[in-house]
Amino acid sequence: MTDLAVRRRRRALTPGQWIGRAFVAVLLLTFAAFFILPIIWLVLAPTKTNSELLLDGPFAFGSFEQLVANWNELFAFGSGVFAVWLGNSAFYSFAALAITLIVSIPAGYALALIEFKGRRLLLVTTLVVMLIPNTALVLPIFLELSAVRLIGSPLAVILPFSFFPFGVYLTYIYFSTAVSRDLLNAARIDGAGELRVFAQVAMPLATPVIALVGFFSFVANWNNYFLPFLVVGGQKIPVQVGLANLLSNVPAFNPTTASSIVIQLPTLALATLLSVAPILLIFLFAQRFLVEGMTAGGTKE
Amino acid sequence: MTVTAPPAPAGVVPSGRRRPERRRASRSNAGQSRFGYVFVSGYTLLLVAFGLLPTLYALFLSFTRNGVFVGFDNFVRVFNDYRFLPAVGHVALYVVFWLVSLIVLVVILAIVVHSIRVRWLGDTARFLFYIPGAIAGASSVLLWLFVLDPSVSPVSALLRSMGYESLVNVVAVGNLPVVFTVIAFWAGAGGWIVIMYGALNNISADIMEAARIDGAGALQVAWHIQLPMLTKWISYMGIMSLAAGTQLFVEPKILAQATKNVVPEDYSLNQLAYLYAFRQGDFSGSAAISVMLLVVALGLSTIFIFRGRLFERD
Amino acid sequence: MSQHSSFRRRATRLITTGAIAATGLLVLSACSTGAEAGGDDTYGFAAAEQVADSPITVWVDASREPAVTAFQEAYPDIEVVLETYDGNAGGSGSFQSKISLMDQAGDGWPDVVFSTQQNDAIWASKDTPNGEPGFAAPLNEGLIDQDFLDGFAEGSLDYATIDGTVYGLRNDLAQTVFYYNQKLLDEFGYDVPSTWEEYAELGDALAAEHPGYILGSMGDSFMTYIYYGGSESPVFQSPEPGVFHSDTSAENAQDISAIIDGMLENGTLVQDSFFSAEFAANYADKLVGVPGPVWYTGAIFQGGLATPAGEIGVAPPLKWEGGDVAAGNVGGGIWYASRHSANLDAVATFLEFVTSADEFQVEASSGYPAYTSAAEKWLDKQAEAGYFVNDDFETVMSDAAGQIWSGWNVTPWSPETAWAKVVIPGMAEGETVVSLLPAWQTELENEATVNGYTVE
Repeated sequence: MTDLAVRRRRRALTPGQWIGRAFVAVLLLTFAAFFILPIIWLVLAPTKTNSELLLDGPFAFGSFEQLVANWNELFAFGSGVFAVWLGNSAFYSFAALAITLIVSIPAGYALALIEFKGRRLLLVTTLVVMLIPNTALVLPIFLELSAVRLIGSPLAVILPFSFFPFGVYLTYIYFSTAVSRDLLNAARIDGAGELRVFAQVAMPLATPVIALVGFFSFVANWNNYFLPFLVVGGQKIPVQVGLANLLSNVPAFNPTTASSIVIQLPTLALATLLSVAPILLIFLFAQRFLVEGMTAGGTKE
Repeated sequence: MTVTAPPAPAGVVPSGRRRPERRRASRSNAGQSRFGYVFVSGYTLLLVAFGLLPTLYALFLSFTRNGVFVGFDNFVRVFNDYRFLPAVGHVALYVVFWLVSLIVLVVILAIVVHSIRVRWLGDTARFLFYIPGAIAGASSVLLWLFVLDPSVSPVSALLRSMGYESLVNVVAVGNLPVVFTVIAFWAGAGGWIVIMYGALNNISADIMEAARIDGAGALQVAWHIQLPMLTKWISYMGIMSLAAGTQLFVEPKILAQATKNVVPEDYSLNQLAYLYAFRQGDFSGSAAISVMLLVVALGLSTIFIFRGRLFERD
Repeated sequence: MSQHSSFRRRATRLITTGAIAATGLLVLSACSTGAEAGGDDTYGFAAAEQVADSPITVWVDASREPAVTAFQEAYPDIEVVLETYDGNAGGSGSFQSKISLMDQAGDGWPDVVFSTQQNDAIWASKDTPNGEPGFAAPLNEGLIDQDFLDGFAEGSLDYATIDGTVYGLRNDLAQTVFYYNQKLLDEFGYDVPSTWEEYAELGDALAAEHPGYILGSMGDSFMTYIYYGGSESPVFQSPEPGVFHSDTSAENAQDISAIIDGMLENGTLVQDSFFSAEFAANYADKLVGVPGPVWYTGAIFQGGLATPAGEIGVAPPLKWEGGDVAAGNVGGGIWYASRHSANLDAVATFLEFVTSADEFQVEASSGYPAYTSAAEKWLDKQAEAGYFVNDDFETVMSDAAGQIWSGWNVTPWSPETAWAKVVIPGMAEGETVVSLLPAWQTELENEATVNGYTVE
């Protein structure tokens, strides 16, 4: 559609179009509010005291002093266990991320560009497993890890986290569409070994897909609750599981703790915010990359 | 986590490119092939260890008791557990609510956002819809715990006007399918909207313009042109969300904790499987439930791969 | 061609090797955690290898945190790692679930755990599904001196005693009594009720003449013990191990439910949790009287409601007209030791301290200590402070301890979960408790069946 056409239409709006536009505007505003207000509330809540949270307007700003107080209360809780949880989350997510990249990128590359027996079987299996919700395998993985006595070890979180068929599929798609086989073959004819072809021809082209796989793997693992909830305990839990533990120290949600109040609601809100802060930041900074990447995904037909 | 995992897989899953120029066997040589195996070895190891073996082991457990083959005994026992059928009912009801609202609202919102001519406005809308996807798992449930508790909620006036005075009122068992739908929709819908938006971009501008010149209104364009183009994606979204919805766990688990079991700890099937393993020490029963869930998930994904047209492969 | 097939062979070998490596990896790690150190017979069980001066990890609910703080002050040489959890409140089962995970892991157990429930010894004394001994360490076979155990109030260790072996130490007693606010009663001209009937009549009078004043709350799931245990309703009985009996159609159950319904209706019973901020804000000076366990003294009146001394009195538990006095029992937490602890001496010191030392039980604990010498001092402290208006509160409380109704039993599952699942939401929806009784009984019986009990 040309700009001219747009302008012409704008000038002459029929009553029907007016209603349509009004409807669209209301719809968009309603849903924008639905999606964004909880987050704004969450960002503001930690700046308030408990009573301000209960009594003041929901979108009022408290004070920075109170934010600091809540921060201190949160990190003083259980002699700083919240920091330990964050550290665990980071350790599990990054370790799994590293293994995921090390195994997925070559695997996706091989599936796309190297012929070998069993390639199709591996590809179809990957697709099937990729489309299963990851939670479906959690209990079986727990039962398996329990049988081999790996429960409680950090490996019980990291290794299952590292298994990321979607990453392999993504790499496969990327290499089979974005890298031409002729380019690789030319390198081979020049006498380059497979390893050199991969390292010097394919890898330099793979930066976008490495970023994408890394992003999805990190987000999925950081936010995972079910698996770590089942396989690690005590001081080894990541922040998602710790957050739920924190809940039982909030008087409003756990009646028996009232006599010695430990965690107040604004502090719990702060914990919730911090537990998603890394992901939220990645989303904010990479928004163009992500939204465009996903949009393009739908576009590629 | 269950349903709020980034639906990104869809976004970057184009249908496979056909590569007619490929001459398979003749091109491959031993050296290349060997590197193929080396390159996939690490991944294959993980696939075996955390895809295949757990499945087989769960199957083994579900048909045995203390190592002795017992046929379908474990399944029968679980089925006769008074908590089983209600849990199936809870999950089914939730999935229905979730799928219907997801499909209807995502399609409408995608088309509406797509119709915005002002570029920055459309970009902003997509971003706003998408951002809650960053908050998943226990964090999103906790956030919604605040939103749903009339004493602290930013929308407490709304909750009170609907007659809800306390958290216990809001999360009454009858309301839970809606509550979980709202939570899941909040965190997950944005990703799908963005994906649908991308699919809508595919429709050539010529077709749209031609339709308009023929006098078709926005609604007619949506109904006769845009919707048919989206069906493939809608079915993908539907299947993925259906499979994910049956896995409901973290939402009822945390609400149960927050309400001192007024939201029952045996609300969903995964919770029941958890109770079997951790409270009753009955791994066979737990395995039986997870095998049932796994069969559903596997069935859905396999049907989709072999019958759906989204993954047309070489 | 021959090259091709040799290649295939090699590939097969590679994949097989991969699979073996995958399983090998898992098996290997299995070996590393299998080691279980055998100890001597000092404690009456195979203790883990003892490491002198190793830190002990303690799980408590937030209310018991002062116990740990007090211990750290008294024993600065023993390192204590404090972890708070929900205390298993409301029968949440978190204690058992968390220990199950540790049992699976084969390490990471806490050394000491406090639970607000009374039934944990049942599972904690049993072998794990892997066939290893259960979590709780036997205490009366060498870990704790018999002399010390004899210092607990009679019968107070019964819940934690399985086949003669003591697995836990009682923190506090939890018999119910009737608390009343003398100031308000005087102001309104009412008498202290002594029967459930008079309690209901007081509710009617209060609702009619002084609306807004209340006689309790039904918002917490432990009300089952107060109203049904305290009214001798045969709702939760286990006449012998493995057998469960519940009869909500019994006269007492019906009558007490009708009384509750009437008082919910006229507003003298509310539905906010006793521990909620709303309850303290709205009813701190509106609570005319309430049946409740002796730990209400610290946890409710001196704690959340901050009622000043000289207003509250303690009367014997309510009974039925013409019936005998019977008290309910509401918790009274229990301390458990882990049989996996690597520093059992420190654990024993800790357990003896938190159950008997003045620093916690008399100074900082909210309830009526189960350890007799501490209990006497606690009562003296209340008397000295002149907290209660009646001078005989000590006798009232200690008499009630001996009047706990024996018809309410302890099973592996908590009676609170069924109440929370069926009755609390029902009441919130405005249904009557009487109408919810059949559903409640069904839920209780179903839970019994799931736990392998026969319903009779």
